[in-house]
Amino acid sequence: MAVELIGVTKRFGAFAANDDVSIAVRRGEIHAIIGENGAGKTTLMNVLFGLLQPDEGAIRIEGKDMVMADPAAAIAAGLGMVHQHFKLVPSLSVAENVFLGMEIRRNGLIDHAAQIEKTRELSERFGLKVEPTERVSLLSVGIEQRIEILKVLARGARIIILDEPTAVLTPQESRELFQTLRGFVAGGMTVIFISHHLEEVMEVSDTVTVLRNGKHVATRPTAELTKADLVRMMVGRDVSFARRRRERTAGSVVLEVKNLWARDDRRLPALRDASFTVRAGEIVGIAGVAGNGQTELAEVLTGLRPASHGSAVLKGRDLTTQSPAQIREAGLAHVPGDRMVRGVDGGASISANLLMGRQTRAPWSRNGILDWQVAASQAADMIKRFDIRARGPQDTVKRLSGGNIQKVVLAREFTNDADFLLIDQPTRGVDIGAQESIHDEIMRQRAAGRAVLVISVQLDELLTLADRILVMFNGRIMGEVDGDGADSERIGMMMAGVEAGAATGGAAR
Amino acid sequence: MEVLDKLLNVALLVATLRTTAPILLVGLGGSFTTKAGIFNIGLEGQMLVGAFFAVLGSIWSGSAFVGVLCGVAAALVFALVFALLVVTFRANEVVVGLALNILAGGMTISLMKAVFGTRGSIVGHGIVGLPKVQIPWARELLGSWAPLVSGYTPLVYVAFFAVPLLVLFYRRTRLGLYIRVVGEKPEAAEALGISIARIRYVASLLCGLLAGLAGAHLSLGYITMFTENMSSGRGFMAVAILIFSNGDPLRVLGGCLLFGFADAFSLRLQTFGFPSYLILAVPYAVALVALFALSYRSRPRIIRETLESMRKLLSVEPGRADADNTPST
Amino acid sequence: MSDRLRAVYGQLLAVLFALAIGAIIILMVDESPVKVFMTLLRGAFGDQAKIAGTLLQTTPILICGVAACIGLRGGMFNVGIEGQLFLGGFAAAWVGFALPLPAGVHMLVGLAVATLAGAAWVAIPAFFRARYNTNEVVSTILSNYVAVLLTSYFTIFLFKRPGGWSETPPILPTAYLPELFSFSRLNWGLVIGLVLALSVAWFFRYTSKGYSISMVGSAPKFAEYGGVNVKRQGFLVLLVSGAVGGLAGGVETLGVHHRFMEGFAPGFGFDGLIAALLANGSPIGTIVTALFFGALRSGSLLLEVETTASREIITVIQALIILSVSAQVLMKRRGDSTAGERRWKF
Repeated sequence: MAVELIGVTKRFGAFAANDDVSIAVRRGEIHAIIGENGAGKTTLMNVLFGLLQPDEGAIRIEGKDMVMADPAAAIAAGLGMVHQHFKLVPSLSVAENVFLGMEIRRNGLIDHAAQIEKTRELSERFGLKVEPTERVSLLSVGIEQRIEILKVLARGARIIILDEPTAVLTPQESRELFQTLRGFVAGGMTVIFISHHLEEVMEVSDTVTVLRNGKHVATRPTAELTKADLVRMMVGRDVSFARRRRERTAGSVVLEVKNLWARDDRRLPALRDASFTVRAGEIVGIAGVAGNGQTELAEVLTGLRPASHGSAVLKGRDLTTQSPAQIREAGLAHVPGDRMVRGVDGGASISANLLMGRQTRAPWSRNGILDWQVAASQAADMIKRFDIRARGPQDTVKRLSGGNIQKVVLAREFTNDADFLLIDQPTRGVDIGAQESIHDEIMRQRAAGRAVLVISVQLDELLTLADRILVMFNGRIMGEVDGDGADSERIGMMMAGVEAGAATGGAAR
Repeated sequence: MEVLDKLLNVALLVATLRTTAPILLVGLGGSFTTKAGIFNIGLEGQMLVGAFFAVLGSIWSGSAFVGVLCGVAAALVFALVFALLVVTFRANEVVVGLALNILAGGMTISLMKAVFGTRGSIVGHGIVGLPKVQIPWARELLGSWAPLVSGYTPLVYVAFFAVPLLVLFYRRTRLGLYIRVVGEKPEAAEALGISIARIRYVASLLCGLLAGLAGAHLSLGYITMFTENMSSGRGFMAVAILIFSNGDPLRVLGGCLLFGFADAFSLRLQTFGFPSYLILAVPYAVALVALFALSYRSRPRIIRETLESMRKLLSVEPGRADADNTPST
Repeated sequence: MSDRLRAVYGQLLAVLFALAIGAIIILMVDESPVKVFMTLLRGAFGDQAKIAGTLLQTTPILICGVAACIGLRGGMFNVGIEGQLFLGGFAAAWVGFALPLPAGVHMLVGLAVATLAGAAWVAIPAFFRARYNTNEVVSTILSNYVAVLLTSYFTIFLFKRPGGWSETPPILPTAYLPELFSFSRLNWGLVIGLVLALSVAWFFRYTSKGYSISMVGSAPKFAEYGGVNVKRQGFLVLLVSGAVGGLAGGVETLGVHHRFMEGFAPGFGFDGLIAALLANGSPIGTIVTALFFGALRSGSLLLEVETTASREIITVIQALIILSVSAQVLMKRRGDSTAGERRWKF
């Protein structure tokens, strides 16, 4: 056995993120660990890698009991971890990043030439193509991941843990990654990889372990399982992400976006020549791998980022020249993708959070004086209507769970009587039960004749909700797919940058 | 022309280097904390206690060298308290820095009263100042330019030699690299098992070391005395420099030379009968103007970018336009 | 409510801790801490005149403290209150001696001009902070030095009282702030400070503008998303904070000194900032902390007379209080501190 986790329990306060989890990983296999958001996958791997200390339980590597006091101990034991969020230093070169923490030195000084040489060697040996002298800030996400893997290899890791490695990759990049991983296990290494993506688990893993609510559910050879089995084990019941039933209700055009361009924070073009419309009573979905211009699109439409060119007309008003306040007035409601930063003030009460955007309007305020009683009673109503699990309107938002915080945001935005709803990542970090009720609420808004734009990196979600799906890649809208009978393979090709026309040919590779 | 000659000559350059030294020392000290991702507004106080204890040490021991050591030790204690509160207790760095500055001001005055029974300043009492270093053959080789390289107190040389050393330190040593990583991407440091807290403590202490030297230079360098609040905002000017230099040693040097020059030049103006109060305000005003001007320069370049976008739009050719950003396979 | 009580309790503990360290330092400079503290207490509250003296010292600290609170609540660190105080003080004095006006009106115009001077002085740092995100801590600190030197220049070179040294001519009695009691120079400035503190507290709690501004302070991205013009609010916050700082100077000139002198009110700006920090940005809390610091200042005068200790020992104590408060606020477990933690994050 390469890795054995025996009865690992990790608590955060009263909440047990891992509850008596035991897993054995054989040498030379790709072992997938799968579960919903919040099932405890990442916590478990952090325990294994010494980033967190378990409250109970033991860890055995290659049959020997180990105490993972810190990541250094884990590295010494032959473990390597590629985190979901890359930990590269942008101002340093590839080689410097690879050897960070284990610099090659001569006479006490860092030997840059030797580091570059060694990086080149590693990159050739394992087929991970990179240019060692390049500065990391200039590289794409796919290459950054290669550097992360090289870092782990340079430390002589025999057991490699990858946390949600494909979340930021295109399907094609993912496939390449899987080939690399296959190469690793063929060479006698062991790969543990965390995912909540069923397809890729079925595709690449030899063995799969399912976690649910912090508990171990099962460990089985992948070949013995079907996708349906996995879903049942992950969720604990049969859930079908069935497409929501709907009537065709699309009415007049509410939002018309034409040739819209915008730059990202590094001032590079991030949104390129986007044009589309959203009509009343329809849900338009924006699909794409994270970081392909969706955030910038949302920010431009809400006035939080200037457009460098083009127009976005909401009911006759060009949003690109308006302030966020004016856009809200024009009829926009916005559920932001970065909930804790944009969506709420975590330290404030629920009623104070629900007040945002309304603080100058009756009945919440008159003549500039706030009426906190009205705010509290409205908040109490919304808590009931949106089923927010809280002690009351005075409860501090950051004490709530992710799903309930999202409901606070939805409650505020969906009760604004806005004609256009922009919903960025409706269910990110939300448990399945809450996901369903959020989807119900979005469908209700559609039925009420609102124009809805849903941005999501979860394709299943868009397939469930959207009337039309637009696919974004590299800031550009690659094509449009009808929600009914949409073909996820074709969307996947577009997400990878293949033009809509070429993609219909049925996916080359 | 004659006036200009009087204003700009070798003596002015020498004076510039001399006035640059203390602010350069404290600025380079702040470079460590800036690079490590700490906003250190407490430089002023560290410098002040450095100056005070350097004088105390010099009087007690009769040696300027011991004086410098005492000054450095005092600044290190302040730096340690700063690190303890900011790194370990995660207190707000601005609040802690300001409080330590106030503490330094009150403490030096109280101690002055307790030890010497006076207010205002300590002069005499047998303070031993730093010697001046005469470089051999400078006179013969450089003639009237000799004062440019010879005849400074040792800390002036330390300050200027520290610049290339720091460049080397950040580029080629492990500690320098780690300080940069901790400041730029703490998650990366943590993931590699580099202790962020330890690196920040080290950076803070290195900062205290140089700030202490800067203080010692103030009170034992060209004038051998201590006066109330004698650091008089140099620490804050250094922070302003650090903000627009991002802690890069060469740019810190550039900024400090600017202030050294402003300082030396304004002293020179004083001899022409300009009102001293306005003259004294010049270095602060220069610091402010530099701070504002450099942040104005980094404003969003909307016009240029709009033009660029329109050009892109006109020559739209998706395959080519995307080629630069497409992940290579 | 219990949250707030716990916060107050925490601050009290921090103050006691700081006093204990202060006592050790006093021991180190060969004085008896008991004697020092008792002298401070007597100097601050010993008799009617001493209490009035304490309140006299409290006034500028309170007004400066309210100025700092406005900044802190709006996410801005105005460390330039000292400079605004000096300019406000000078501007009020100038109105007082150079513009003959009817009684009452004269005083109000003086205060108004002081307020404007304070706002004008912070306008440039505020503009650059709002527009280009230039660090306001450094820019306001540096502008303090310029302000102090500039007012000294005005006083000594342009408006010197003939025969006097480093002071302007006395202001006309029409511009005096009326005194409250016959036995002390204590004046309406204290009332102005109290009313200001209460109305600023009310503003942040009960007006939509106040709500928007505190949201800018505690969660700027959220406020921006909600349609608040973050840049403009930030600019206004610093401007108003500077205006109140200028008012503090005007009150000090028109109420106490009746002229502008070089170094007329040293350290009140910083004391006000410290008082506001100790009160966690609450204007009402600042009334209490300003009184505390006013008492320390007033007591320190007697301290200088009766003991060998220097009056700056109280500066040391104040600094120690802020240091222990800064550590203590964040020592509490994350969930516990709602008010304290986020006010200081920016």
